[in-house]
Amino acid sequence: MKSLIFIVSLLLISTGLLAEIPQVVTIASIVETHYQNQDIFKTLFFIVLPMIGALTFITVLALTLVYLERKIAAHFQCRLGPMRVGFHGILQPIADAIKLLNKEDLIPKDADKLLHFIAPFIAMVGTVLGMVAIPFAPNIQVIDLDIGLLYLAAVSGIGVFAVLLAGWGSHNKWSLLGAMRAAAQLISYELSITIVLVVVVLFTGSLKLSEIIYQQDSLWWIFKGHIVSVIAFFIFFTASLAELNRTPFDLPEGEAELGAGFHTEYSGMRFSFFFLAEFINMFLACALMTTIFFGGWLPFHIQGLDALNSVMDLLPPLAWFMLKTSTLIFLMMWIRWTFPRLRIDQLMKLEWKFLLPLGLINIVLAAIVVSFKWYFFA
Amino acid sequence: MFDSWKNSKVKEVQYGNLQATAVQAPVIERNNVFSTTAFAFKSLWTGLKITMYYFLRPKTIVTQQYPENRETLKMPERYRHNLKLKYNEEGLHNCTGCKICETHCPNASIIIESTKGEISKKIEVDSYVWRQDSCTFCNICVLVCPFDALEWNPDFESTVYDRRLLVTQLNKYAGPPAKVIGKMDDEKKESQLNANKEKYREKYIGPNIPMNGATLAGVSKLGDSMDKKGGGESNV
Ligand code: SF4
Ligand code: SF4
Repeated sequence: MKSLIFIVSLLLISTGLLAEIPQVVTIASIVETHYQNQDIFKTLFFIVLPMIGALTFITVLALTLVYLERKIAAHFQCRLGPMRVGFHGILQPIADAIKLLNKEDLIPKDADKLLHFIAPFIAMVGTVLGMVAIPFAPNIQVIDLDIGLLYLAAVSGIGVFAVLLAGWGSHNKWSLLGAMRAAAQLISYELSITIVLVVVVLFTGSLKLSEIIYQQDSLWWIFKGHIVSVIAFFIFFTASLAELNRTPFDLPEGEAELGAGFHTEYSGMRFSFFFLAEFINMFLACALMTTIFFGGWLPFHIQGLDALNSVMDLLPPLAWFMLKTSTLIFLMMWIRWTFPRLRIDQLMKLEWKFLLPLGLINIVLAAIVVSFKWYFFA
Repeated sequence: MFDSWKNSKVKEVQYGNLQATAVQAPVIERNNVFSTTAFAFKSLWTGLKITMYYFLRPKTIVTQQYPENRETLKMPERYRHNLKLKYNEEGLHNCTGCKICETHCPNASIIIESTKGEISKKIEVDSYVWRQDSCTFCNICVLVCPFDALEWNPDFESTVYDRRLLVTQLNKYAGPPAKVIGKMDDEKKESQLNANKEKYREKYIGPNIPMNGATLAGVSKLGDSMDKKGGGESNV
């Protein structure tokens, strides 16, 4: 079997089929071409098709993540997790979704009706907007913005806006407390995220995601930028955990002390929106980390080692992207089911006394490394 | 895996004439930010290692697929669900009717009726009533019994539609404990076991619990006294 794989890969290499890096083709560019050709049907088709595709993808992804989270959590805790619905409970998230959709949609009596109503939709909008810029594969991307990185950093703040609105609009002290914590947390940790993005921009000299990915053809940034990149990745990972409200930073939800925090007063469909948004946000953060540190959809390439590069090319770009992203997601789940929740003062201490100074030092280091071209394959 | 606490300092302490070994909590050295950070990462890694250990070993899973494995279900040794009297091979229990368990039960879930036996001339238990409906399974009764007469039965499927059915009489015969019966000769033993035959019941027949007008086979209505003929079977 091993020799067979070897022969096949040798053949593929010799044909040189996979030698060059594919060009980015975004859906936005396809739409634009058809629009310029004044082909109205094709234009509409390529607008509607990605919409349906995105909706399906988001739903399926969220359900899969919910299932995986429950299963993985169970196995970390010596349990089995869902086992009844379908083979090893594989249909459990669908059953849950149907249950949630059938539930009564309650609005508390004294709630601010408008804010309470729109908060979950804003949460969903934030995630969908983020999804737009993520490059899954060279030809699976909605729009390749010139300021993709900045855009993603901006859009990731919308989710917390939704949490704030939900907490404020619910007329519930626990919700409000959760929302306030979320705001404090976001303001603190957004700083670290932005500082890390500055490091990435220093290295790549670009905010365009496709550009960032192409630059990692010689080696991924996490290896290329050695210590600076590793510190940057660590800060980014920790800060994303905080921004995603995941344990050990899940203070806005805090089951033990706040009920469920900001979504205490939500039920049915609109609760599931928060739920979905939370899981999709996790995917988004991991996808962004993959893109800027682990080469996005690029296979593992080392400049100069053509044999290795060709073997790595055997896996299609989408598989590489999903592999890396799911590894990071697993890491997040692993952390979630291992560590206890921090106190709010510990949370603030970690950010302002540890991550932020470290990030600032890292920027200086990055500037030195970049200006002297001390990174690999400069 | 879990050896780190063994490395921590151990101290011998004396409380009066009691010798004890106290484990000192490891002191975290907070000299500077670097060693603190290193310690933090080390301890985080320890935690991650432990959870990964269990994640990678599906054999450590303790969940049982209950209704499917009903035949092969294995309950943990110390599982508490049904209180029962220990019986020896001859079917005799050890309970002397001393009522120590009754006085210790925090929920008054044990009611013991005992009389002085005519043949044995000793206090013997007539009915040992245990109310599962109010028991918190605190295990105190088992611990305090000086004659080691009680134990737990892991048989947990005790769902009923009326809580009166959870009130059960534990003893299968009314009479002296095994030790006393064991000392009797065969003839006396026979007459002893025959003497309280009519008290030989397993279903509770004592004071009633309100049932809001409903009836249930085998359970007497509120107001029916237990002296009435038929007791438990009055309103079948
Ligand atoms: S069970 Fe034990 S403690 Fe309770 S009455 Fe019987 S002998 Fe006494
Ligand atoms: S377990 Fe506790 S509550 Fe139950 S009967 Fe024994 S002493 Fe009473």
